Amino acid sequence: EDAAEESNVSAELIALRKRLVDEWNAWRARSKKEQLEEKGQTVERHTSEEKEEIE
Amino acid sequence: MRPILLQGHERSLTQIKFNKEGDLLFSCSKDHVINVWYSHNGERLGTYDGNNGTVWTVDVDTESRFMVSGAADNTLRLWAVATGKCLYTWEFPTAVKRVAFSADDKQIVCITEQRMGYQCAIRVFNINREGDGTDQSEEPAFMFNPIGSKVTVCAFTLTPNVIVTGHESGKVALFNLKSGEEILNNERAHMDVVTDLQLSADRTYFITSSKDKTARIHDIQTLMVIKTFTTETPLNSAAIAPGKPYILLGGGQDAMNVTTTSLRQGKFETRFWHKVLEEEVGRVKGHFGPINTIAVHPGGTCYASGGEDGFVRVHHFDDSYFRAKPYGDLEIED
Repeated sequence: EDAAEESNVSAELIALRKRLVDEWNAWRARSKKEQLEEKGQTVERHTSEEKEEIE
Repeated sequence: MRPILLQGHERSLTQIKFNKEGDLLFSCSKDHVINVWYSHNGERLGTYDGNNGTVWTVDVDTESRFMVSGAADNTLRLWAVATGKCLYTWEFPTAVKRVAFSADDKQIVCITEQRMGYQCAIRVFNINREGDGTDQSEEPAFMFNPIGSKVTVCAFTLTPNVIVTGHESGKVALFNLKSGEEILNNERAHMDVVTDLQLSADRTYFITSSKDKTARIHDIQTLMVIKTFTTETPLNSAAIAPGKPYILLGGGQDAMNVTTTSLRQGKFETRFWHKVLEEEVGRVKGHFGPINTIAVHPGGTCYASGGEDGFVRVHHFDDSYFRAKPYGDLEIED
């Protein structure tokens, strides 16, 4: 049933959905990467602050 | 989906929340009581008594050790999850409308209402996790009165000392806790009151619901609107389903505007939308009044809704939910 319905969906709609999913995945990949970078920076910042305190 | 009806509240639900493992569900209500339930069978594990007014909000830490609640009796309370004991009570001039733990469990943020000449305030308390939890500091680590429209909802971001807020005007914003400054805002995120704000599992994005009948997904760094979900009813709650590309929305006309004819009975629906394609994929009905709060199990295996009708309904997803790919084999990042 689902397959039959799917075949009725126009090629344009399929292309639109593909584009939306690609955009979403690209945004997710970007924000996950930024998050990792931010985490790295925070750790660095904290360690340098600690060092300063020790000095 | 087999729903489990949790009967234990005498008045409408205000917020429900799963713990990190998802085995426990916390619920608070206008009946002054907080309950905790086993999510798999709906059995009530316990009750947290002591509040003298509507309990507006509840949150639980990642260890399921401490629970925090905010109520109309102007108190913020810290509870021992396991024993039901109230460990500490903070008192303010006005009601506590929203509370949230930080990701590391070390801080809680709370919003107090603007009323009787008192401004809306945001306070952050450091939680002393040593000992039995009763030794807390009375004074907040940070406190400020946000400028402009009053705050309705909030959560900690992953950036230290930065929270994200939703406002009565429809604005969403980022605030620096130390300075009380608004770092960034989107004044036109919504056109009416922001009623709920829930974070994605990795806290890189969040969803808001609003009385303007829409829900929106925003990037937590830029506050840019990524997705919009437009419904035909004022929304009270929005949640993100982990593992599947869906979001869950709940709302309904206010109880006072609803004609209680039999036609309307059990017709208040949780709406499932595809979060990427912005299309509605299904509805689950059951509540006898507007849905005030929705939470999804962190493992994505079930969800719960709390209604104006005083009921909590827990729906465990069945196999067809996990198998269903309503839009084909597109791989979607969580």
